[in-house]
Amino acid sequence: MSVVVAPAVVVERSVPMAGAVELVLHHPPSAVAVAPGQFFQLAVSAPHTLLRRPYSAAWSDAASGRIGFIFNVVGAGSAWLAARDEGHELDLLGPLGRGFDLEGARPAICVAGGLGIAVFPGVVQALIARGRKVIVLQGARTAAQLLPAARFAGAQVQVSTDDDSAGHRGSVVTLFPPPFMGEDQGGGVDIFACGPTPMLTALIDVARRQEIPLSAIQVALETPMGCGIGTCLGCAAPRAVGGYFLTCQDGPCVRADRIAWDRITDAFHG
Amino acid sequence: MADRPDLTVDLGRGLHLRSPVLVASGTFGYGFDAPQVDRGALGAIVSKGTTLRPREGNAPIRIAETPSGMLNAIGLQNPGVDHVARVYAPQWATWDLPVIVNVAGDSVDEYVAVATRLNVTGVAGLELNISCPNVESGLQFGVDPALAAEVTQAVRAVTELPLIVKLTPNVTDIVAVARAVENAGADAVSAINTYVGMAIDVRRRRPLISRGSGGLSGPAIKPLALHAVWQVAAEVHIPVIGVGGIMTADDALEFLLAGAAAVQLGTVNYVRPQAAAEIHDGIAAYLVQHGLPDIRALPIRPLSVLSHV
Repeated sequence: MSVVVAPAVVVERSVPMAGAVELVLHHPPSAVAVAPGQFFQLAVSAPHTLLRRPYSAAWSDAASGRIGFIFNVVGAGSAWLAARDEGHELDLLGPLGRGFDLEGARPAICVAGGLGIAVFPGVVQALIARGRKVIVLQGARTAAQLLPAARFAGAQVQVSTDDDSAGHRGSVVTLFPPPFMGEDQGGGVDIFACGPTPMLTALIDVARRQEIPLSAIQVALETPMGCGIGTCLGCAAPRAVGGYFLTCQDGPCVRADRIAWDRITDAFHG
Repeated sequence: MADRPDLTVDLGRGLHLRSPVLVASGTFGYGFDAPQVDRGALGAIVSKGTTLRPREGNAPIRIAETPSGMLNAIGLQNPGVDHVARVYAPQWATWDLPVIVNVAGDSVDEYVAVATRLNVTGVAGLELNISCPNVESGLQFGVDPALAAEVTQAVRAVTELPLIVKLTPNVTDIVAVARAVENAGADAVSAINTYVGMAIDVRRRRPLISRGSGGLSGPAIKPLALHAVWQVAAEVHIPVIGVGGIMTADDALEFLLAGAAAVQLGTVNYVRPQAAAEIHDGIAAYLVQHGLPDIRALPIRPLSVLSHV
């Protein structure tokens, strides 16, 4: 399945959590082709905007040909997308980039801060389908901004909030590592993470202190993005061995040991 | 009138293109990405700016959207000319689409060294980038007619390839630079590269892109680019390739009417990969509709370039 530019019809719009919008598009080729963690470039027609907006697929369902996107309204482009009604056609470019490597049998811990949770419904579903044990650690500013645990059927969900309105108080990283990691220390775990850069760097710090190998952690990176297909070189992220990789081609899902965390830029708009 | 008007372009020194629609340097890599673009619509690919040594490029953040535009400060990230000549050029040689290599450097010697190493099969021409705003000294050659002429002449001396010079608009008198490079042996000029600009993140109180300033492209600069082409085309006798904010066939036609012999698509490649085909077909349809035989009939005032081709 190659990358396509195609019109996709909005079939559902909802508010999955406070401040966010979930658009469900009907586009069977994309729903079949996309792997968890991959993204699409959505064209927007808001006045004075220009570039496509990159969004990870939140989930997809090959049988119904549907694909979901969850995003916050942060500017003119996302506001325009959030106002698309059912029946509206969106111009979709994708699927793009590399998704998460979901292979293996070790327990999986998904760590999400803020809108970083948007990539995980499909990831968790795919992990569960592979028979893996899954714990979701989700942090948000306040309880209303948490994606309901029902979206992660089969997984154990733990939450944190900055204002103590639900779960543990503080950053989601304070939930990490969860207690069950002790049981599995022999075999280790796989960690999947997405969220604001300070959250990711805090997670990496904890992992280093706990002597969890960074190669066991995969992060879904967010950088500003131009083309999404490797031509503009705008989405550079610092590579551990020096220089840069492209988030759109070498990511967005990258093993944490490939990233130069001391040179990472805080560019999360979520 | 033929149903299939003549869209071919002669950029001089044997560089005949099947289409007046090119893709601009830095927006198409080295031609190996962007399979969504219909190559049949293109006359040529202009590669990413290529330097003597590999360059890692600038630290992120490298791009930002601005009203109807985009700022970039990529910093000439490229694998270096030896890789381009050894690995890419042999593949280009098998294509039916010419690849023009955009050449950048910090000194006359570097431009000459890069150009010399590009005397290989598969390279259809050179575009001298004397107008990159995103590296130290990137603009040095482009803002000074004497230096622009010096580097053009030095490269002219070491290559038989068609030589295009890409002009910067960040000057007081772009015509002076255009005349200087024409006299120094350029076969054509591209007008224009990006305008230096910036944007500031008011919440974080810092420039949106890490380098502070960057090059502005996209529809925001189209009227400025068009005026530069209008000025340059009237004053030089070599073809002018119009570039700057073209999104539609009408945009491209404006440049051709202003006197451009061809156009380059830049930022639009990021947004609408289908634009190249639409613009190519739109130009053809316009010629048919107006009973014009070819694109050389488009300029709306007499141009010296007409006698050149």
